Amino acid sequence: MASTEAVITQRKFFKKTARGKVVKVLRERYLRDDVACGIQGCRECSTEIPEPLPFSGSFEHQLYPNGHYLLPDTNVFLAQMDLIESSLFTPPIILLQTVIEEVRHRSLPLYNRLKALTKSEDKSIWIFYNEYRSETAIVREENEIPNDRNDRGIRVATAWYNTHISLTRPPIRGQKQTPHPTVVLMTEDAANREKAAKSGVTSISVRKYVEGMKDANLLLDLLAADGSQEIEPTKAASGRQALYPDYLPISTLLAGVKAGELHQGHFNANQYNYLEGSVPVPAFDKPILLVGRENMNRVVQGDIVVVEVFPEKEWKAPADEVVDQEATLKNDDAEDSGEEGDENGEEVFVKESRALSESSSQKPPSERQPTGRVVGVVKRNWRAYVCHIDNTSLTSTLTTSLSTQTVFATPVSRLLPRIRLRTRQAPILLNQKILVTIDRWDATSRYPEGHFVRALGRVESKEAEQESLLLEFEVPYRPFGKAILDCLPPEGDQWVVPPKGEFDIQNIWRDREDLRDVIVCSIDPPGCQDIDDALHAKLLPNGNIEAGVHIADVSHFVLPDNPMDSEAAARGTTVYLVDNRIDMLPSLLGTNLCSLRPFVERLAFSSIWELTPDAEIVSVRFTKSVIKPKAAFTYEEAQIRKDDPNLQDDLTNSIRLLNSLAIKLKAKRMAAGALNLASPEVKIHLDSAESSDPIDVEQKELRETNSLVEEFMLLANISVAKKIEESFPQTAVLRRHLPPPKTNFEKLQDILRKTKGLSLDVSSSGALAASLDICVDANEPAFNTLVRIMATRCMLSAEYFSSGSVAKNTFGHYGLASKIYTHFTSPIRRYADVLVHRQLSAAIGFTPLHATLHSKSHVERVLDVVNRRHRMAQMAGRASVEFYVGLALKARGEQAKVRGEADVKEEAFVIRTFRNGVGVFVSKLGIEGLVTFKRDTQFDAENYTITVPGAKEDVKISVFEKVIVRIEVEKDKNTQRGKVKMTLVEPVDSSAL
Amino acid sequence: MASTSISKAEKSYIQAGLLANPPRRADGRSLHDFRVISLETGFAPLSNGSAHLSIGRNPHNGSGGTDIMASVKLEVESIEEDASDGGRIVCNVSCSPSAYPHLTSGALDDLQYDLTTVLHQTLSHPSLHPKNLNIIPRKKSWLLNLDLLVTADAGNIYDALFMAARAALWDTKVPRTRSVEYKSPKSLSSASGDMDVDQDTTSGFDTRKVAHATDFELPDYWDEGEILEGRERWPVAITLNLVKTIHFLDATLQEEASCASRLLVVHSYESPISPTVQSMRMLGSEELSILNLKNLIKEAESYTNTMFSSLTAKLEDEDFRRNQKARERFGKRR
Repeated sequence: MASTEAVITQRKFFKKTARGKVVKVLRERYLRDDVACGIQGCRECSTEIPEPLPFSGSFEHQLYPNGHYLLPDTNVFLAQMDLIESSLFTPPIILLQTVIEEVRHRSLPLYNRLKALTKSEDKSIWIFYNEYRSETAIVREENEIPNDRNDRGIRVATAWYNTHISLTRPPIRGQKQTPHPTVVLMTEDAANREKAAKSGVTSISVRKYVEGMKDANLLLDLLAADGSQEIEPTKAASGRQALYPDYLPISTLLAGVKAGELHQGHFNANQYNYLEGSVPVPAFDKPILLVGRENMNRVVQGDIVVVEVFPEKEWKAPADEVVDQEATLKNDDAEDSGEEGDENGEEVFVKESRALSESSSQKPPSERQPTGRVVGVVKRNWRAYVCHIDNTSLTSTLTTSLSTQTVFATPVSRLLPRIRLRTRQAPILLNQKILVTIDRWDATSRYPEGHFVRALGRVESKEAEQESLLLEFEVPYRPFGKAILDCLPPEGDQWVVPPKGEFDIQNIWRDREDLRDVIVCSIDPPGCQDIDDALHAKLLPNGNIEAGVHIADVSHFVLPDNPMDSEAAARGTTVYLVDNRIDMLPSLLGTNLCSLRPFVERLAFSSIWELTPDAEIVSVRFTKSVIKPKAAFTYEEAQIRKDDPNLQDDLTNSIRLLNSLAIKLKAKRMAAGALNLASPEVKIHLDSAESSDPIDVEQKELRETNSLVEEFMLLANISVAKKIEESFPQTAVLRRHLPPPKTNFEKLQDILRKTKGLSLDVSSSGALAASLDICVDANEPAFNTLVRIMATRCMLSAEYFSSGSVAKNTFGHYGLASKIYTHFTSPIRRYADVLVHRQLSAAIGFTPLHATLHSKSHVERVLDVVNRRHRMAQMAGRASVEFYVGLALKARGEQAKVRGEADVKEEAFVIRTFRNGVGVFVSKLGIEGLVTFKRDTQFDAENYTITVPGAKEDVKISVFEKVIVRIEVEKDKNTQRGKVKMTLVEPVDSSAL
Repeated sequence: MASTSISKAEKSYIQAGLLANPPRRADGRSLHDFRVISLETGFAPLSNGSAHLSIGRNPHNGSGGTDIMASVKLEVESIEEDASDGGRIVCNVSCSPSAYPHLTSGALDDLQYDLTTVLHQTLSHPSLHPKNLNIIPRKKSWLLNLDLLVTADAGNIYDALFMAARAALWDTKVPRTRSVEYKSPKSLSSASGDMDVDQDTTSGFDTRKVAHATDFELPDYWDEGEILEGRERWPVAITLNLVKTIHFLDATLQEEASCASRLLVVHSYESPISPTVQSMRMLGSEELSILNLKNLIKEAESYTNTMFSSLTAKLEDEDFRRNQKARERFGKRR
């Protein structure tokens, strides 16, 4: 009877819902006797799928000469996933259902990795559903906590396996009995091992197991820090002094956040000052400032944290000093940092508190912002970070030995703290870029502890730097898998547009307009391979002009919801690095089938307007089409052609026509209040394909034709946005740029007023545009650009969104001064455009809209990913440029030295002043740098000036002042990181300061 | 039930039997005998406590008898301003139309209302109120919904309802909650720049000022929760069916129809010897002298005493069967 055995077959538990109700949940289970053990050739169990576990286990481990199977406990997966994932770790593994569920309960990312692991082919893993096999199912005892119950279940299953093996292999008379393989319980929990020993189950700790393996040296480094404490009981963790306050329990945090007493947000580290961070929260206009190590309380960039705000009288202003972690903590010893009372700790403490007290000196109250401390972490955002081994942290006597030692790894990103890790490969890893994962950060440890994942390669080698960039910005860069490539047309690069008529088996010409005779051309940067747009224009008999924008018809090839589509959605965007491009779509599409090459028939999605000569839109229509571009110009070629009065052919005339329209369109846009913003764009010359050593850096040149293409793309995007919003008011994929909050501009306005006597009107984008136009310094043409760059930095970034998700009055694009906007013109390299193509195609009745695009939540989810990828791609691109600029500067410096000249000197503008330095912008190179002084200077925060002692008299330097800096590339001694170092040459030489 | 229609002849036959010496009842019981009572607790796994009770079911084919299902469902309730603290108990009796095929839906509603009133008034009395229905003082508490469903009525509905209610309440487990609060450290002084942070760490579980608690959590626990405080207090009821000078217990429908009045006495046993009267109802139209009433109450006490002790024994037995025994049986199987 079911009711009598309810305690066995039913599992009841309570759940609290989001609305605070308590729900009782009931799970029934049915026990069976035929859950297979997964061992090959087992005479009792049989399954449909091939069993992965070899009959006699694995003989590879020295402790188990009779063969063994490994049965890991949950904590192994929670703490040592990198080890299990290593290709060197290949024992046959029995994975219990209890373990899988516990992993899922504790950490979803780890669960996903575990799932992937069970599917991978190079591991022999068998999932045993122990909770459903009648012999191994257990019932929770009275007063048993869930953890103990699961541990007991794992032990019972291990014991069952051993009995099962011996029962199914009875001795055969006359044959020598071969010893049975053992099932070994691997667990980090000493108490569990003890209990296992009592019930006669073989168990082992991870470290001990790995030590007995063949590749112990390599594998031991992959061990997470969790495992290391048992091995060294000498360091009594309890005896250590807690350096950080404990976190509050998660439920308390949530209660506090709900009650509005605490605030939740993402932690942003300050890249200039490692002792300062901020958390933007909705409750305050300005982000909450966190000052000092223990107020930041062990949080790392990107963590979702909960902050308590101090009373208003304790609020502070952000520091105006550069505090470099490398300088302050140079002498910290990795072996014993974090221990009680060591001199080093004291020293660090004194230094840090001085750094803090200096910076927290008198500041105008207006600059104060909410200040608080972290009381808990809702979600860690830890991942693998690219680091260098800090060579000063190596024990000098041990630089060549292979013994384990504790070293510091310095992340490439300045936003991250140093990570302590234990490795036996330290000497080999020096001068390498390595990947390190943070495992934990105890209250007793000053630094987070982590473990080594893998080496990327020698520092400054292109491969290592490139991979490290991609990893650092989380760009997915693996080659496309087979499932994805299978979605491409089977003809491969032989694919052509079929002739119209009966040979068109796939009916590609259905509803497509034949625009092959229209004089279409494309204008792109030189060397562009993925041409996704082309243009045409012609005069109509009524005096109006027909202009067309033709975009590669990517949605014809990328169908919704297949592997290629999912991959493209996950990648979000193509990432452009200086010397590489990480494609969103397989290159067959990007650079061939969807690239609008000249003289080839290509599928396109066309937007065709009838415009008056004054560029007023008379009508617009959208159609799928087939085009055959007549030319592919670079911006320069198009410009030259347009300017050549001798050329009067149709092609040239259509460029002129387009240009005249573009000029009018732009004028209109500007009149409507569009901003002309500037960001430093730098072009890297690569001298040849092989060496790819940059020889020079120069700013990108902008031509009239650049703006021609841009204007028409904007026009197309706006027209398409209107159309899809009309057709799909709930799910249209749009792009918006929110107006920046006024407070963002406060500082810039203040600087401008005080240094130049200029004012900035930020009441609207038009007003801002107008006031930016009058921000000129007659003596300094670059000043205007500089102000524009600084204004750009005050703005928010644009984002994709689904039209049903936000209020209609927030659709606007601030920078473009357009009421509505989307991205339609680059479907090869942006996923949002692919979605827009699908929606537009449905809006004109060409194809029905895929069900997923009707779902608001689905669109939102996809766009969230795309937004994030987009941001990351931009950052990766910028970082790549920075790296090459560094190389170029180094090369230039060396050449200068060879020629016997002095160092590289450039003009620069001061953009920020600190107590002990100035931030400068070198407009010619498009780089920003920091000049730091060893001595403090007279600093006037109110007027943004510092006074430095010059050769004869003191010199005052203020923001926007032009200075000359010496630029060197210096290899950071500790981290081997190439670092641009700038020193002032004029008005004073700061090398002595 | 009064509405069961029997003829005058039947009525007088039954009365004559009861008044005869020795008394004779249709099923051969003596005046103060009960029919067989069967009880099972925990039959509804999704409720917080449940019981299934029947009186007089035919042991061979399981037919006939009064059949009642009781279940307790706890619900989180936000306490409004100036509302009473410490949880509420709401009883509701519903009668399946199949149990009363002769009643119109209006009459069924009336019946349900009458039964509900008696149970609710008795069980929600402050003297019986369990003390552990609190979640967060002055913020949140449990609302205990006791639902009783009459699926068949073969007489003696009140006794059956109270027994089922007592069993379900006995079986009820209140999920463990822990109130959480965030206590902001108003005394926090300049802690910045100071490395040794020690006594100033705030605790989330400070119970001294629980008034600040805003929310609660469910800690993981091996059991479904703790039993209701004072579950021994839940009362038992006895209906004395009065015919002339005598009274008899556990009347069948026909017998109920034959007696003009009934006295319902509900006793709660804080201690096994001296019960307190929780409720008393005189049902029917006939008069009853004070002297008689006194005697009847005295008699009732002895009945409820027996009923109380055997019911408690059965409930303890049920607890044992469902947990320990089942576990042992499971252990043996291996």
